[in-house]
Amino acid sequence: MSAPAETPNRDRLPVRMRGITKQYASQKVVDAVSVEFLPGEVHVLAGENGAGKSTLVKILCGAVGHYEGEIEIGDQPTRFATPHQAAQAGLSIIHQELSLIPEMSVVDNLVLGTEVCRFGFVRTASSREEARRLLAFVGLDLDIDTLVRDLPISLCQLVEIAKALRSAGRLIVMDEPTSALNSTDAERLFDVIAKLKADGRIVVYISHRMEEIRRLADRITVLRDGHHIGTYPASELTDDGLITLMVGDKEILTPASNSENAGFGPAVLALRGVNVTRGPTTLVSNASLEVKAGEVVGLAGLQGSGCSELLHALFGSSGKATGEIEVLGRKFVPHNPKSSIKNGMALLTNDRKGSGLVLPLSVTDNTTLAALPSLSPRGWRKTANEQAAAAKMAKDFHLRAPSLDAAVGSLSGGNQQKVALAKWALTQPKLMLLDEPTRGIDVGAKREIYALIERWKSEGLAILLITSELPELLMLSDRIVVMHRGHVVRTLDRAEATGEKVIEAAMNKEVA
Amino acid sequence: MNGRLKGFLVSPVFRAFAALILVLVLGLIFNADGAFFKIGTHRDALRQISVYGCLACGLTLVILSGGIDLAVGSILGLTAVFFALVTIHWGWSPWIGIPATLLVGAAAGAVSGCLVAWGRLQPFIATLAVMVSARGLAKLISHGEKVSTALPTSDGNVKVVDVPKIFRSIDSQILGGNLSTVTLIFFVCFLVSLIALTRHRWGKYLYAIGGNEEASRLSGVPVAWSKLAAYVGCGLFAAVAGICQAAQEQQGDPEGGAGYELTAIAIVVIGGTSLLGGRGGIGLTLLGMLTIGYLEKILSVNAVPESWRLILTGGIIVVAVLAQRNRR
Amino acid sequence: MINFRRHRSQLLVLVAMLAVGCGSGSTETATNTPDAGKGGGDTAVKKTFTIGVSQCNRGEPYRVQMDTDIADAAKGHPELKMVFKDAANDSLKQRDQVEEFIQAKVDLLIISPKEAQPLTEPVAKAMDAGIPVIVLDRAVIGDKYTCFIGADNKLIGKALGQWLVKRLNGKGTVVELKGLMTTPPAQDRHAGFMEGIAGSDVKVVFDADMKWLEPNARTEMDSALARLPKFDAVFAHNDPGAHGAYLAAQAAGREKGVIFVGIDGLPSEGRVYVKQGIEEACFQYPTGGKEAIDTALLILAKKPFEKKIVLKSNFYTKENVDKGGEPLP
Repeated sequence: MSAPAETPNRDRLPVRMRGITKQYASQKVVDAVSVEFLPGEVHVLAGENGAGKSTLVKILCGAVGHYEGEIEIGDQPTRFATPHQAAQAGLSIIHQELSLIPEMSVVDNLVLGTEVCRFGFVRTASSREEARRLLAFVGLDLDIDTLVRDLPISLCQLVEIAKALRSAGRLIVMDEPTSALNSTDAERLFDVIAKLKADGRIVVYISHRMEEIRRLADRITVLRDGHHIGTYPASELTDDGLITLMVGDKEILTPASNSENAGFGPAVLALRGVNVTRGPTTLVSNASLEVKAGEVVGLAGLQGSGCSELLHALFGSSGKATGEIEVLGRKFVPHNPKSSIKNGMALLTNDRKGSGLVLPLSVTDNTTLAALPSLSPRGWRKTANEQAAAAKMAKDFHLRAPSLDAAVGSLSGGNQQKVALAKWALTQPKLMLLDEPTRGIDVGAKREIYALIERWKSEGLAILLITSELPELLMLSDRIVVMHRGHVVRTLDRAEATGEKVIEAAMNKEVA
Repeated sequence: MNGRLKGFLVSPVFRAFAALILVLVLGLIFNADGAFFKIGTHRDALRQISVYGCLACGLTLVILSGGIDLAVGSILGLTAVFFALVTIHWGWSPWIGIPATLLVGAAAGAVSGCLVAWGRLQPFIATLAVMVSARGLAKLISHGEKVSTALPTSDGNVKVVDVPKIFRSIDSQILGGNLSTVTLIFFVCFLVSLIALTRHRWGKYLYAIGGNEEASRLSGVPVAWSKLAAYVGCGLFAAVAGICQAAQEQQGDPEGGAGYELTAIAIVVIGGTSLLGGRGGIGLTLLGMLTIGYLEKILSVNAVPESWRLILTGGIIVVAVLAQRNRR
Repeated sequence: MINFRRHRSQLLVLVAMLAVGCGSGSTETATNTPDAGKGGGDTAVKKTFTIGVSQCNRGEPYRVQMDTDIADAAKGHPELKMVFKDAANDSLKQRDQVEEFIQAKVDLLIISPKEAQPLTEPVAKAMDAGIPVIVLDRAVIGDKYTCFIGADNKLIGKALGQWLVKRLNGKGTVVELKGLMTTPPAQDRHAGFMEGIAGSDVKVVFDADMKWLEPNARTEMDSALARLPKFDAVFAHNDPGAHGAYLAAQAAGREKGVIFVGIDGLPSEGRVYVKQGIEEACFQYPTGGKEAIDTALLILAKKPFEKKIVLKSNFYTKENVDKGGEPLP
């Protein structure tokens, strides 16, 4: 398989950042950071959200101007005014957010802006060839005429990566590239990274996932509050050591011990032979499971397993669930979110910005949104009550926000997630449906959310949890239900559950 | 030393007021031989813009929810014709005529609301359809002519009847002639929207739906009903505007209110409410209304030619929106 | 944010809707079928004639009145079958309607064109097809038509100006509320008026463009009242303008002692305002409906007629309005 860009034989030179400082208003988000990136290495930037990682790489790739300090390629000092200039010099970035145009086909997206042209006319045949070559490089076998909106999010992410690799030269930044990938597709990405590395290119990698860092990193640079804490060979750092460096001497909330399984209450949710359909397609068939009060049931499955769809159908937000559903011992027919909330249910979706929060509204408004009917009897709002309730939640959840009147969109990912969780906590649910509660948030916030889940358990909530991070799943779940292509294929108790068993079950039928 | 002034100039409060202040300063400079300093000029400026203000109150509800209502001008025309018809021609008492007219406006709004909430039509398309149909209905019930105090008789002549009392009451002045009644009516509309948006659960639902409809739905917000209510409210306020318009013209003009929706939308946007929904408020709409109202008055009292009025109005819209723009 | 595919399908709905809207506009016909059955005895050589009427915009009361006058005049002639079409203020639609009339082989076409340029050729086409064309109120370019009937705005404006000079004894101040100044009627009414008051001490002290609309007239009048401590007369280019100005002056308590005059004199507007004492005088802008039918009958009977007819206007005051007004001096 060939290299992505047309110029594979560029000189392999190190890229240095010297004394980089970037100031917004009075706050230094990056403070005198110096890093050297060596050819052929995967260099992980580690740090909590807000540590300055994103700003640093944006400076590197020309997306942020007006900084102090210098960037050198080899011994040549350079300065980029636009991302385009940086790309010319062989530095490019793969974004966290998708930049694909949903209404266009895969091939059109891949060559957008850099169409192969002759005399201003697009040369379709060469564009298509180029697109196939790029997809092959990331290990995808797709019909290139498929519209991007028809692809699952995981594949979109890989197409995005393929697109970015097109202009990739000496250095490629990947900012949380696996946040929307399932494990199979993540494997494909890791293969791509290995190829890039073997080719002598620099991969700057930002991730919150410890196992990815362990697996990929050659060297790790730790940032904290805009400061450069240090750069270490990956082999010299233990997991705990890395976390300590990232978090500093801040208080770390550790999850309570999970050993005592005793004292589950009665079943809060019981499914027997439940099917989920959306239009003509069946997404889940004949699913049976039970969640007791005080119990966390993990729901595991790869892309297309129907886990998320099951949660949505139970909550009445999309799809149609048929079969026997009991909530708190009574027969329940999902109708719409409103009635599900009334019945003591809550659903944290896996898309915080798209369906979890109303970004322009304030922290208070978001926190009280779902509980508003009880906070405003007969429709008239009692703003003092709302503010008090939101303040209490903010305190309970250790929310860090400039003020409760700040727009939720201005908070960091972890704090946004806390608001989304606080919104549901305020409705005092009996059953929590959590879909990827820790997606895209920093280590500190993750730990706080683990602690929350523990607390809810002890308060007798029943929790049905989806997470694509195996260690997290194993740590939090009392029981793990594994799904594969819409079927429940295995149920594992805490004692017997291991990562291998879960993955094996999730891939069960493919293997068989 | 300049820092404080600079800080004030970029503060959101100032930015919301910037366009209005600019317009008022223009008024102080071009005061038309002192006419700008007479209270009557201000009374008239407020009177003229009040009808638009009523429309803008309703539009604020709809725009905050992420929608748009193009039908308000037509509903104004329809309700003005209806009100003139029932009070002048049919001799209904205002106690029946006014509620009936409000009902007509609310019904027209409900049609838009149902098309948007349950028919899942884009608000632009749904309200465009209602806009066209309502205008047709206005022409139908008026037979294409202005409904005035001149009643056609069977022998082809016209009989002139008195202007109903309620028309004169609405088109009167209060506070010793210093405030028009229609301005008071607008202010009531403003207060109703203000209370609905800040004190009632529904108001917050509108913000939430405009900010993120899916997240609102998943949080148990009754999205469809809230939207329907916004359009019904918008129709209701348009009917109030229609009654005011009929009273001031002493007739129901089936062409009345044509193009008013654009001015009303401009008022909402100049205030700083986002056309994407979720951001803004009725207080901003009040500022927008004053800006447009005073601008028109200043241009009119100085007898500025039409060509320059259009150019300057366009300029003020740009200044206002630039000043409002979120610098993120 | 915007789902384009959904958008596109709805755009189609929009286009379809507009098309339907256009369709219904252009086929809006009112036929005045004569009582042919009643006079059933002597049918030997009796022929009926179909006359197509293309009205540019029935949204305006004046043009509704024109159609009504044509229909009324035709009522007395059972041999005429009238077909009315409304172009809804759209030149291209009116062009299509003329084509339709040519296709339908009407015996005569009466057209009140929206604009001269776009309708000159369709009218010529009708002439080529052997259909006589009476052009009403607004002209086409050149002289390829059978007969033009219209009033002279400039003459009316001038007569109004002269009347006002006489009424004010040669000295006074006037507020002029103009129609849309990009349209010829407003330009002519203004030019005629200036000619009429030329050489006297009657002066225009405030003028504004109210675009023929009553709410605008009221707004502009408010400004005039704020600017001027005193003035003698208000001349509005149309009657609704005068009415709006009167309501503004009334609201300010200053309508007494001011002379309001307007143009058009429709039975349901200007003439009513004169009766109510709102306007002291109103100058008619005749529709020419009756004259059109009279001329049509001459043309169809192949009798001599005049190629260009300038309509005589009336003016109305409280004394003469019930008697149908008096011709302009």
